[in-house]
Amino acid sequence: MIEEFSAWLVWVIPLLSSLFVPLIGKYNEKIRNYFVVAVAALTAGLALSLVPAVWSGNGEALTTNPISWIPGITGISAGVYIDPLSVLFTCLIGFFALVIAVYSIGYMKGEEGLSRYYYLILLFIGSMIGLVLADNMLQMFIFWEMVGLCSYALISFWYKKPESIHAGVKVFIMTRIGDIALLAAIGLLFLMFNTLSFRGIIAGIQAGGFNMDYMVAVAFLVLGGAIAKSAQLPLFTWLYSAMEAPTSVSALLHAATMVKAGVYLLARFILIISVAPAIITALMPYWFPVVTWIGVLTALVGASLALTTTDIKGVLAYSTVSQIGFMMSALGAAATTGGLIGEGWFASLYHMVSHAFFEGLGFLLAGGIIHAIGTRDMRLMGGLRKLMPTTFILMGIMIITTSGLPPFAAFFSKGLIITSVTGIETLAGLAQVIILYGTAALTFAYCVRMFSLAFMAPKTEHIEKQHVHEAPKVMLIPAAILAGLCIVWGLAEPLVASFMHIELAEGLVGAFLNIETPIFLLLLVPTGLIAYYTYYKGFKGVRNVAGTKNPLSTMLNHAFFFDDLYGTVTKGLTRFSEGLTRVENVLFARYPDAAGTSISEAAEPGKATTLKRGPSDSFRNYVAAAVVGFILIIVLIIITSGV
Amino acid sequence: MSLPILLAVFAIPSISIPLVYLAGKKSPKAAAFFVALIALVNIALVMSTIPAILSNGSYAESYTWIPTILNTEFTLYLDGISASIALISLVLMFVASIFSINYMEGKKNLASYYALLCMLSVGLVGVFLTSNLILFYFCWELMLVPAYFIVGEWGYRNAYKSAFKLFIFTHAGAVFVLLGIGAIYYLTGYTDMFQAQTALMTAAPDIIKWVLIALTAGFAVKMAVFPVHMWLPDAHSEAPAPMSALLSGVIISAGAYAILRLSFGIVFPAVGIAFGTDFLHSLAIVGIITAFFGSLLSLVATDIKRVIAYSSIAHMGYIMFGLSLFPVALATGNSVLLASASAIAIVGTVLHIITHAASKGLFFLTAGGVMHQTEQRDIRKMGGLAGKMPFSAVSGTIAALSISGAPPFACFISEFLIFVGAFQIMQVDTFYIIPTALMLIATVFSLAYSLRFISKVFLGASKDEPGAEEAHKTLAEHIKAEAHKIVDVPSYMKASLAILVVLVVLIGIYPAFFMNLIQTVQFGVPVG
Repeated sequence: MIEEFSAWLVWVIPLLSSLFVPLIGKYNEKIRNYFVVAVAALTAGLALSLVPAVWSGNGEALTTNPISWIPGITGISAGVYIDPLSVLFTCLIGFFALVIAVYSIGYMKGEEGLSRYYYLILLFIGSMIGLVLADNMLQMFIFWEMVGLCSYALISFWYKKPESIHAGVKVFIMTRIGDIALLAAIGLLFLMFNTLSFRGIIAGIQAGGFNMDYMVAVAFLVLGGAIAKSAQLPLFTWLYSAMEAPTSVSALLHAATMVKAGVYLLARFILIISVAPAIITALMPYWFPVVTWIGVLTALVGASLALTTTDIKGVLAYSTVSQIGFMMSALGAAATTGGLIGEGWFASLYHMVSHAFFEGLGFLLAGGIIHAIGTRDMRLMGGLRKLMPTTFILMGIMIITTSGLPPFAAFFSKGLIITSVTGIETLAGLAQVIILYGTAALTFAYCVRMFSLAFMAPKTEHIEKQHVHEAPKVMLIPAAILAGLCIVWGLAEPLVASFMHIELAEGLVGAFLNIETPIFLLLLVPTGLIAYYTYYKGFKGVRNVAGTKNPLSTMLNHAFFFDDLYGTVTKGLTRFSEGLTRVENVLFARYPDAAGTSISEAAEPGKATTLKRGPSDSFRNYVAAAVVGFILIIVLIIITSGV
Repeated sequence: MSLPILLAVFAIPSISIPLVYLAGKKSPKAAAFFVALIALVNIALVMSTIPAILSNGSYAESYTWIPTILNTEFTLYLDGISASIALISLVLMFVASIFSINYMEGKKNLASYYALLCMLSVGLVGVFLTSNLILFYFCWELMLVPAYFIVGEWGYRNAYKSAFKLFIFTHAGAVFVLLGIGAIYYLTGYTDMFQAQTALMTAAPDIIKWVLIALTAGFAVKMAVFPVHMWLPDAHSEAPAPMSALLSGVIISAGAYAILRLSFGIVFPAVGIAFGTDFLHSLAIVGIITAFFGSLLSLVATDIKRVIAYSSIAHMGYIMFGLSLFPVALATGNSVLLASASAIAIVGTVLHIITHAASKGLFFLTAGGVMHQTEQRDIRKMGGLAGKMPFSAVSGTIAALSISGAPPFACFISEFLIFVGAFQIMQVDTFYIIPTALMLIATVFSLAYSLRFISKVFLGASKDEPGAEEAHKTLAEHIKAEAHKIVDVPSYMKASLAILVVLVVLIGIYPAFFMNLIQTVQFGVPVG
């Protein structure tokens, strides 16, 4: 089958091509850059070629033939899983790969180590597409970890900067915490179904071969994996740290694709369990509300933090956290609206794509600004409206879309999310909807704040000193394409719904006629006015938001103390380990660890100093230690086994 | 009688020891190539038995040996597990000898060094190659002698002290092993593993539990699990890098192999299910403590090789935990084919011995290369080496990531199988729920120390550690003084690192070769 063939190639080609990047880069850097663009274009083309078959299908996965991979006991095959969900993601990733490949030519110009950069970008593209197209849990998990690896390496791209290294390590370790939850879920699934392939699991669920308690555990563990990967409460702080990466990387990994892996995972999981209504019923009282609550609270927390940070990429990072919170809340509402895969499921994915467009656009423009003025601090910006007119217009489109104002993309997608959460007809559901409205208003506020600080405020000294230039065309054109998509994506709603094989209750016009729309718009007016007057009329005020000493701003400055908590735990562990090391060294007469000796000082054995104490002196100590160790082991065995 | 392939695997390195020495007198390089060539020939010989193993499950040769005393013939025996571990040992031996060319350059008595390396390869491969208990013990001790001299004579700092520790501890462990083997012979009258096992099944006295304990405790010392780990950090960090790679890569894992082969293969089916279960539980506890202990100490160690040595302890914890997932059904005398679903964890454990050997060998050799080029061993004084030593940076990063269990590198797939197996066993034995959860958490720590290693050594140094500021100053001075000097590792080192890099990636992506081999093995009571 031709689709299966392209579904393999679409991730194998970038993975294999990545190996050639350093080789080509050695000879000619220009050819290397074009090579990467060509591979990205090919990937995007292959991704698109999957669309017709899926669209004309019945919404279920196409039949494919997996190939043997890990033989014997586990019987794991490698294969591709082609259904609307995976193809939607594939197309998005392929498209963004092309956008970023072109953008990088301008943005990364003149950097050192570009072969490494492009190698990792291609490796990431291949892995990310491999993740969404994998037809079994192991293959998915491997790519899941590999995108984390690429993220680590790309965040630490400027490997001489201590902040980059620190951020890379933090991101990798925080996401690993979620990975072990996912690994445990995979273990439980294998335990129940004796297979890891999605088809096998679906067949197993349909045959009723599952244990409900395990299934609930799996659901929560999967959620844990998604929380860490998609930067949700309480593991959301890594996304802000990830902003140490080059901006092109932030756009690709930390706005458009990698950070959505958690959304993909949950969407896939809900799709899989939806074949058994019994599981949905069992998960209804706990799991789905937890998903919604996490999403709703993360949306609120992210938006409030975006309101105070002074880092322009920080605003976009927290905005991403907040928007993914919206998606999560919709996923939590996926099963409440009566049907199993309801509007919530679709709303989440639809918003996922519109978010990729507007947040990606934001990052591309922010990259241009950072490129031009050499700082990420918004307090040093201002007056860019005149200096960077194209960026100004595009950023205008970006903030309108982000705020969810009609008629751009997010108006429809965010509206659909709020509609689907409204479908939860409980008291908690009402509270969730209210919080989401509040968050939507906050979204508008932080957008206006960013916009006014960067573009509308009077020029700062920093700007005056610099020769600020508009971003080059190679960076503006990709941004302009994204801006165009922000405008039209909303109107594509019926098409996307038909592609995903989802029946929507309302059409495009319905979105305007909803009771939500007027409330939504009414909410925007006061927030916008407040934001305008605080930020635009009194720019000192904005700098004071972070500077004031009231409890709320302290909380916001410390990102609700999550990082402080993690820092305390890390420090405690380090202290503990150091104590253990000291005990070890004293007990076993070890030289203090390294102790600053260099090799040359102590390389020559047989010197008088090195054998001060002859073997016979230490003989007794060692024998004693060995005997004590033995006794400990044997005592342990006796205690536990009761010989 | 077919060709004496396995006998040749023994004989070729044995006969070559004096030749290697003579060659080394003329030119150390020639001796290194000699040892490497022997390893290559042995790899080819072991590979030639693989078709037979895949189709029949094993490959054996029998010879008469000391006939008057023990009235038995000794059997050279390879099955899927021992063949795959022997192969990776030989690969490491090959790589270590090539690496030594640059690494040991300019050291004294290199002829003896290579002769000892050759001698080590006899013992190292011999352990995996026999089903005869006496020959096994002989090889077990034979590993120790060259290891002692190599660590002592060519090691760093108080090398003989570390070597002495290594010797005393492992030898003390070997005494217990000898006791266990003696008891088996005394109880059954056989020195062949399989005959002894069949005999034990028919009549097992109560003391057999103690035999199991003695054997396992003895092997545990070789594995350096907590609390008999004390010798490892010194010996592995003071040894020359090629020897560290061999020690951490395969020699300590030989302990795990021996537990699987002797403790579980011979004695375990005779102990009964109640004791068997409890025994396995205690191994799981030892494994968890070891994994956490090693990871935590690795997290704060400042000596480049001690970071890796503690990580070896942690990984022995994983392997011990994996061993504890041994199918308890065996303890009733049932036979268990490793290819069945209940033994996924054991397949994973054996695979982990292999993947850990490749990754840890790569890790130690890279660290050795870094030490060789920078003449430093304190990681606080390093940093930013990625720019000066890009090749080592890539190989070190791959090694560290593999050790941390990140796909697509080798250790991931084996750890994954251990965990999947652990979940399988949870279904029948709820004891394993907490241990498995803890082991999963331990992987976060292994990621932490691996990333710390990469950050401190290859990337720009971070400043949040006590004492780092001072080290930073030293680094700046050091770099100023040495900047023109620090270059990437020389070509033979590069070649040996490259071999292991390819291996680590290859096994990670496509583990089928080793998995097919391992899965041919059947444990338990031979039928008929």
